[in-house]
Amino acid sequence: MKFANWLRRRSGFDTRAAEYRYGRDPVLGFTAERKHADTWVNSTCGYCSVGCGMQLGVRDGRVVSVRGNPDHPVNRGKLCPKGLAEHYTIEAEGRARYPLLRRKDAFVRVSWDEALDTMAARFRSIQTRYGPESIGVISTGQLVTEEFYTLGKLVQLGLGTRNYDGNTTLCMSTAVSGYKRSFGSDGPPGAYEDLERADVIFLIGANIAENHPILCSRLESNPGKTLVVVDPRVTKTAMMADLYLPVKPRSDLALLNAMLRIIVDEQLYDRDFVEKHTSGFDDLCQSLQEIELDAMARITGLDPELIVRAARLYANARAPFIGWTMGVNHSTKGTETVNAINNLALLTGKIGHAGASPFSITGQCNAMGTREAGFASGLPGYRKFESAVDRAELAQIWQIAEERLPTSRGLAYPDMIEAAISGKIRGLWILGTNPLVSFPNVDVLKQALDNLDFLVVQDGFHPTPTTELADLVLPAAIWGEKEGTYTNSERRVSKVNAAVDPPGEARSDFQIFLALAEKLGCRDELFHGWSTPADAFEEWKRVSAGRLCDYSGMSYESLETSGGIQWPFPAGSSEAPSTVRRLYGDGVFATPDGRAQLIATQWSPFPEQPNAEFPFILNTGRTVEHWHTRTKTGAISILQRMSPRAWLEMNPADAQKLKLNSHDRVDVVSARGRVIGVELRVTEIVGQGQVFLPFHFVETNANQLTQSAYDPISREPNFKQCAVRVEKQSGVNV
Amino acid sequence: MGELQDCVSALCIRHRVLFDRNDTSLPWSLMELPLLDRIEQPGSFVTLATMQSTHEEHASFCGVKRGNQPLRMPGPGEQYRFHFDMTKCIGCKCCVVACNEQNGNPPDIFWRRVGEIEGGVYPETRRHYLSIGCNHCLEPTCMKGCPVDAYSKDGVTGIVRHSADACIGCQYCTWNCSYGVPQFNPERGVVGKCDMCYGRLQDGENPACVMACPEDAIQIEIVRMDAWQQEYREHANSPGMPSPDDSISTTRITLPQLADCGLNRVDRGHLQLENPHWPLIFMTVLTQLSVGAFNAIGWMQAFAGHADRVASLVALVIALCALSASTLHLGRPLYAMRALKMWRRSWLSREVLLFTLFAATATLYSACLWAPMSGTTILGSIASLVGLSGVGASARLYLAPGRPAWNSPFTIFEFFSTTALLGAAIASLLAHGTTGIWLVTACAACSLGVFCTKLAWLARSPSHQLYGAWQLLSTTLSNKVLLRIGLLFVGLWLFNVEQAFPARAGALLLMLAGEFMGRYLFFVSVVPTNIASSFLMQEAA
Repeated sequence: MKFANWLRRRSGFDTRAAEYRYGRDPVLGFTAERKHADTWVNSTCGYCSVGCGMQLGVRDGRVVSVRGNPDHPVNRGKLCPKGLAEHYTIEAEGRARYPLLRRKDAFVRVSWDEALDTMAARFRSIQTRYGPESIGVISTGQLVTEEFYTLGKLVQLGLGTRNYDGNTTLCMSTAVSGYKRSFGSDGPPGAYEDLERADVIFLIGANIAENHPILCSRLESNPGKTLVVVDPRVTKTAMMADLYLPVKPRSDLALLNAMLRIIVDEQLYDRDFVEKHTSGFDDLCQSLQEIELDAMARITGLDPELIVRAARLYANARAPFIGWTMGVNHSTKGTETVNAINNLALLTGKIGHAGASPFSITGQCNAMGTREAGFASGLPGYRKFESAVDRAELAQIWQIAEERLPTSRGLAYPDMIEAAISGKIRGLWILGTNPLVSFPNVDVLKQALDNLDFLVVQDGFHPTPTTELADLVLPAAIWGEKEGTYTNSERRVSKVNAAVDPPGEARSDFQIFLALAEKLGCRDELFHGWSTPADAFEEWKRVSAGRLCDYSGMSYESLETSGGIQWPFPAGSSEAPSTVRRLYGDGVFATPDGRAQLIATQWSPFPEQPNAEFPFILNTGRTVEHWHTRTKTGAISILQRMSPRAWLEMNPADAQKLKLNSHDRVDVVSARGRVIGVELRVTEIVGQGQVFLPFHFVETNANQLTQSAYDPISREPNFKQCAVRVEKQSGVNV
Repeated sequence: MGELQDCVSALCIRHRVLFDRNDTSLPWSLMELPLLDRIEQPGSFVTLATMQSTHEEHASFCGVKRGNQPLRMPGPGEQYRFHFDMTKCIGCKCCVVACNEQNGNPPDIFWRRVGEIEGGVYPETRRHYLSIGCNHCLEPTCMKGCPVDAYSKDGVTGIVRHSADACIGCQYCTWNCSYGVPQFNPERGVVGKCDMCYGRLQDGENPACVMACPEDAIQIEIVRMDAWQQEYREHANSPGMPSPDDSISTTRITLPQLADCGLNRVDRGHLQLENPHWPLIFMTVLTQLSVGAFNAIGWMQAFAGHADRVASLVALVIALCALSASTLHLGRPLYAMRALKMWRRSWLSREVLLFTLFAATATLYSACLWAPMSGTTILGSIASLVGLSGVGASARLYLAPGRPAWNSPFTIFEFFSTTALLGAAIASLLAHGTTGIWLVTACAACSLGVFCTKLAWLARSPSHQLYGAWQLLSTTLSNKVLLRIGLLFVGLWLFNVEQAFPARAGALLLMLAGEFMGRYLFFVSVVPTNIASSFLMQEAA
């Protein structure tokens, strides 16, 4: 039979015509029949934080196609290439299907009961021996908000440890810290509509063409804008710019301070706004006295006149927008840089109205959700650990003794890793993240994980470089298999729905949390009567009521029908759910006195300067085809084929000196490690003395090279610059 | 959900109405205004499918999806074409994935591809992208070469369509298209290509790539064909694209300013060996051996009065093996005989026809020699001449615009020099003694001369494809080049010094091996023209 089939195919009798047949589908129109679906499930994309509305086409229990939801206000039917191929993640090879427990050196499949019993018992015994805070939890930005809310409660009140943080600290904790310092609370004040309504748009360290392509479509539909791109690398986004400022690596803060000085000197700021709505103006002015334009020009490598032009462009704009991403955040000066951006907006009063916004474009699909509800760097609802009022309010809602709420946050992610090395953290629970690829100076991380008594990794995929090191692997449902909500960068809460069941015995993270709570004996107390994410959502609405991130007016139904609702949306609001909302339009900020804080900042060089041994500055970043550590996109053939491996960009002048050519295989070496056999791309995309390596690829892991240097305020790693040298490949290919 | 479906079906109905240009009661007011604004633009083209949209539209989805606006039918003398706006493209490759999803293709087949070009000096670097599906050419070379008439240029829309049912998987179109558009799908055994989503256009929907583009960089337009003939060089050319002259591509490309500042494809360092097409190596060399043999036998009969019937049988078996082997090249060998269909137009059809005739006359000739019958001399001459014509057609078909290293008289010389060398050697072998040695030597010199001259020509060429072939031959393939020359020399030397039949037959086999090696190099070293690709070589999925 097999031979007969082979012969039919090889002879050309059978061309699989039926599999390749086209037909008319009521939703997709004329398309290949294999993509036709019986039912369509609305959801939201699970990759980045743009928050595109999607529809998942299901046939015979499989997701056979996806399409952008044409009625969704964010993306209007468009999707990026990752989104267009997102249905392949569900059936990708390497999904985690069963709980696996390490016995001796091999994983053994165990029941959920045994897995969670073991986890509870091991964590409890570690805590008994080393104290409650010897357990750490590192979560992600990719669960639904309901799960973050549940997990936060479970960890803080059930497990009883404050050492809980997310991979969001590798990503946007800097923006959080910056917002908190300037405006009194986290929460990006603008909306995507600002991209369409701004007259001047600054993008600083943000390569949206590569990382948020759907935002480009919003930006491009604004015909009257002037786009200024600040980036040391000539990115795809830089090519879109009307004015491109090729700053030297990590000199953005110098540029911003120079602009502030010019705005103050030329009296271009909004005196009225500054007087009524801000404090700290005098301190800021005093600090700006030290900012010399010529010195800043030298630091940034820009012509002084260009800086003046940029400053005037911003200050004279009717509605200027500043967007930033990892170029700013991945820095030891990140928080200060965010504050300098906020200073620009505050000084000119360009905040809170259409088009005008200092806007952090977030990374993961629900990084915002964990910021709002997560209980990691703050109490749920943007409440502060330090505030007695906040603690009392929360304790009252939860009907618990106020003393059970911690008065300060636990260890941040990088500090937990350090604590694991020093033996303070003995048990770790990692969820939905792959630090073996994403954590800087990865050898330190490996040492930390080696040092643990018990490591639990909960993920949708196995094996990943991280699950391979686990003592216990918990298989989790992923996007397309579970229900809840995501919040995108513009604070829009969108509904996420399950289209199919998870594979094997995998469960939604929500169900795993409830089951673990059961084992820990706190389910009844913390999650009384809960069985679905909707139960968590209802409680979260009450917790968020009256806060900046007020969900109380939302319901799953209204989220479904409106294509997402931007918070704040309090109960009883007279606004339509779909209204575009901005924060601080009234000039009242989330500080005790309602005034925003102008913060003096000071540029300093990045920590590891190039030297004779390591003469290049290594910049890291992404490519449009892949997502973070490639757990998902590396398993999707079409994306993998379009971007099969890493490359290293180097300026032709440098390549000539080193006698290297395009496509040569090179090693990249830093004081911490060596990346072997990267394909060299000799290109004018990067300036002399700089090289660029994408970080997605574990095979050539950029984080072998990056250093353990963190922003002192946000604890975010300085991923973007370190000193390296480049050699012809040493011969060993990995 | 129900609402959405209603909305979609309403759109479909509306578009079908608008698509019917014979209906005079058209509700023209339904057409979207931005379309009318743009309908008369300077030049011969009219942008119809547009996603130009305003804030108001964004705020309220008033029923019409962006990228989904009505498209009129091309009138007489007009056709559809793609417009690609390089100034808008951000290289996100949404179009590539959307195309693949639309057509249900496997992940290693891209009917639309995105290439990258780069120029300038940091920080005044220029990076641009080319998104190209099929160019729906005015004079499609894929169609001209197709031996089975699987291609058609749609009379109304001008779309170049391909029928998977008619296709036999000979892949000749993949050589003829300078843009690398048709792609062979081994899973199906047939070629496939972009048809501008013909079915979607019929329903008044934009193609998948147009719908997916977040930047509105791809559109469908209507072009007046006669005007385009005059001005295509201005609008169809772009850095990173092969010349549109071969086939008159209809894709209009809007280039950024400063596009002439040394923008160059970033994949220049990509050089990879092409498919050797083993069945074709066997087929071409063995048919040439057989034709050479029958010429030797026929001429010796004519001039020396002696026909070697054993040799004729051996040569016939070789010819039949060669022709059978060639069908293994096809994705659908069962339908090989369909290749005769387009003999009026396709050199591939002519090759198949002439070699079929050659096989028939050669069979008849051998049979007569064995019978034995008189009057076979004339039959031998006919077989020889038909065989030579077959070799000619065979060589001619490799003059494909998409394969510059083949598209030169060298191909003709190579194929005939192989025939002559092997034929002369067989004649000398059959004649015994030293008769004809001079001819063998002369043919070998000729063969070597052709090979070396071609190498010199490639090495001195400024063209990326020709010089690229030289780079492959002088680096990756250099040992094989030496082997090819060595086999010829050793064979010739042995042929000259040895008198014994077995030794000389061995020498002939060495020379034959040299020709096989030469043909292998011919197939693998060719660098096809294509649109620029991305920097990293794409791996098969």
